Amino acid sequence: MATSTVDTEGPSYPGEVSEGHGVIGARSDWLKPNVTWAIVGAVGGWFFGRYVGDLIAGNWPVSQNTTMNNVSVVFAMSFGVLGWIAGIGALTYPILKMLGREPAPVQPSSSWVRYFRMTEDHKVVGLQYLIGVLVFLFTGGLLAMAIRTELLSPTSHVFGPGTYIAIVSEHGTMMMMMASSAVVGPLGNWLVPLMIGSRRMAFPRIEAFSFWIFMAGYLVIMTALPLGGFPTGWTAYAPLQTQANPGMDAYLVGFAVIGIGMIAAGFNLAATIINYRAPGMTWSRVPIFVWSILATTALLVLATPTLIVAGYLGVLDRTVQTAFYVTEHGGSSFLWENLFWFFGHPEVYIMALPGFGIVMEMMPVFTRKPLFAYRVAAAGMIGVALLSFFVWQHHLFQSGINPDMRPLFMLTTELISIPTGFLFLVTLGTLWRAKIRFEVPMLFCLGMLFNFLIGGITGVFLSDVPVDVTVHGSFFVMAHFHYTIMGGLIFALFGGLYYWLPKMTGKVLNQRLAKIHFWTFFVFFNCTFFPLFLVGLLGMPRRVFEYAHNLQTLNDISSVSAFLLGASFLIFIFNFVWSVYIDPVKAPDNPWDSRGLEWQTATPVPWFDFERIPVVLSDPYRYSEPGAPPVADPGAPSLGSVGAMSYGNAVGPRDVESLPDRPGDLDPRPPIL
Amino acid sequence: MVDKLVPAESFPILRETPEEIAYELRAHEGALWSGSRMLMGIWAFAFAALGFAYFYLRSANNADLWRPARITAPTGVGAAVFAFSLAAAILAAYGLWRFRLGSSLDWEVAGWTGVLCSLTAVSLQIWQLTDLPFFPGSSGYASCFVGWAGMNIVLLLCGAYWLETLLARHLRLRRAVADDGGLARSTLPAVRLFRVNLEGCTYFWAFIAFVAFFFWMLFYLV
Repeated sequence: MATSTVDTEGPSYPGEVSEGHGVIGARSDWLKPNVTWAIVGAVGGWFFGRYVGDLIAGNWPVSQNTTMNNVSVVFAMSFGVLGWIAGIGALTYPILKMLGREPAPVQPSSSWVRYFRMTEDHKVVGLQYLIGVLVFLFTGGLLAMAIRTELLSPTSHVFGPGTYIAIVSEHGTMMMMMASSAVVGPLGNWLVPLMIGSRRMAFPRIEAFSFWIFMAGYLVIMTALPLGGFPTGWTAYAPLQTQANPGMDAYLVGFAVIGIGMIAAGFNLAATIINYRAPGMTWSRVPIFVWSILATTALLVLATPTLIVAGYLGVLDRTVQTAFYVTEHGGSSFLWENLFWFFGHPEVYIMALPGFGIVMEMMPVFTRKPLFAYRVAAAGMIGVALLSFFVWQHHLFQSGINPDMRPLFMLTTELISIPTGFLFLVTLGTLWRAKIRFEVPMLFCLGMLFNFLIGGITGVFLSDVPVDVTVHGSFFVMAHFHYTIMGGLIFALFGGLYYWLPKMTGKVLNQRLAKIHFWTFFVFFNCTFFPLFLVGLLGMPRRVFEYAHNLQTLNDISSVSAFLLGASFLIFIFNFVWSVYIDPVKAPDNPWDSRGLEWQTATPVPWFDFERIPVVLSDPYRYSEPGAPPVADPGAPSLGSVGAMSYGNAVGPRDVESLPDRPGDLDPRPPIL
Repeated sequence: MVDKLVPAESFPILRETPEEIAYELRAHEGALWSGSRMLMGIWAFAFAALGFAYFYLRSANNADLWRPARITAPTGVGAAVFAFSLAAAILAAYGLWRFRLGSSLDWEVAGWTGVLCSLTAVSLQIWQLTDLPFFPGSSGYASCFVGWAGMNIVLLLCGAYWLETLLARHLRLRRAVADDGGLARSTLPAVRLFRVNLEGCTYFWAFIAFVAFFFWMLFYLV
């Protein structure tokens, strides 16, 4: 009956064709598409693009401080990105599709080379994203150190004003790009299939593509610096955008490239969550972290296209001389602000929601209580995602919008604090009368709640027009969003890493070092950013490198704390390297005694995640409940009955047994998409 | 060093039950269905952004330069681009209807004609861009038109690519499944996925036709 099996010999995926369709033969790993070829492709593409650009617009005015005009810069970057993704092998599949082939997926292997290639293993992609996000984070962090160094003194300068604003802009852009993928990339990709009981992602090639184009975006945005940077901050307001150096092209192309990656990541994760949930994984049993990722993917997929189009229009203004953002020629600089913030405000929740998802996922484990008001939490996330599309105009309160529109958007902005408040209350309700285990991940959760409370309440202040008008463009706003993004998202991310890294790496991180990391991180984060509320209220504007002498003490407290905050990141890195490579201690399968499905499989997790697709029997939060059923039956010969019941007679045993050996298109196993 | 993260013993043989294979197949079908609809959502928001730009600049009419002297892009070429886009969508829909009735040859002919139509529309759109009666930055209308033309080219190429991949796949599959009921009837996973893919592609072409109609009205009629 249902327990007969089809063996997949060796490390191969279901549906892999064994002959005739192979893309990759028995070449050395280094001859197959990998990051080396991607770099070669990017460099070659850059020069080719520049050549094409010069061919098209060689007689156009050359931009200041460069030998290139905007057309050749944009072409160079675009072909550079194309060369990068061709070198990594991301174009192989689409080209073969044009020939009608379903090529064999890249073989999973235990070689370390797989981390430098396209792979269809979501766990490898998750780790690739983790390193990628840390690269973004540390680059942005170094730029932050430069900013705080400059602000040590009100009048003595390390940098010139142009360099300073270029550093501020690069820092902001880099961090926003990082934050949009900080949780969705590493933890979303690594954990979602495991949490929903799937062996794979819906579109693993798109998943891998999303990572590699994310890294292409990093390279593009880094090229802004040698091209003179851009003077607009991360918001790139026109008309300064239209007038800026070619570094601005790097911003516009880079954000569009990252945007493509964000859409691809969201697209794949949404399709996976909707379709690949294990039998019995009803919507009311879906882990709350997965709900948070699902709500985030809706924002990624729907809001990001607006950013890409806004950037595209900006590129057109700078290259083919359209006038979208040029008021004098029939355009409008406010058009950019509207399009940008139509993406930019949902972007805030792209960053915040996964952070809440992590915290709510971990709370029950360390309180040994069910998650309080699970359905309210899920509804709150959907509510936040929906409302986030209706608040963007509050960023334009000071930009000359019709004053009659202000109360409407003040109202919608305040409305969004209701579902956000739901999320906060769910975490507090879970904490209520709990016997809390103060493990490191829990400390980060509590730190996140403390920080987000400050960031959230100041956000409610800012949604009110009178306050917004008063503190607009000041360090108050800057402190507010650092409390929500860094205090919220990054704290949650580190909590999540300490929680799940034992599963991801099979090693336990040193808890003493982890606690030192938390306390230094928490204390110096607050010492860095809380004084900036005061500095802002006292009138210090953002993005200006000189300030009043009476603000120096507060700025110096902030700067010194920022350096120590930067050092606390190094503790994490040291701990990671020490615990995983130098003095590794094997992690038990379930070190936190969690009911989560991801902890029910072996450590390290096998490439196909689960020996049998589990049958989910209950939600994962029924802690301390006498007689609670197990979360799943992982042994699952019963999938036969459940599968037949739930999914109908899609392919019966007869179909499989009658075609056991035929390769290629007649393979009964579904191919990788 | 990194090898320590996933040692070799984590690569055992995967043994799937028929029910697991069936479960994954259903999930694949669902993913294709969801994916094709999400793709329309992505493009819808992209074009909505452009539509917003159109109406925003039109209502702002800054410097009285929304559309001086009611300049219009060449209407004949514009109508041809729209007609070819619409024809490709109708052919895709007709092909799917015939395919469902068991005539995959009809679908094939309609599909290839549709690809040809879409490529013709792309060519005409590019040609039109090289021969505009206005400078791109001369007005809000001119800017929006140039922006839309670029996006329309990419959208049409996406639709043409998708249709072409299905046609190429069809060529490879049809002989292989001839004795299994043909592409319209076979229960083999590759064919079932093909059918879901085809349906998604046809819906996508309907979406392209809608976008073409909407912006054709905006730029040529209104």
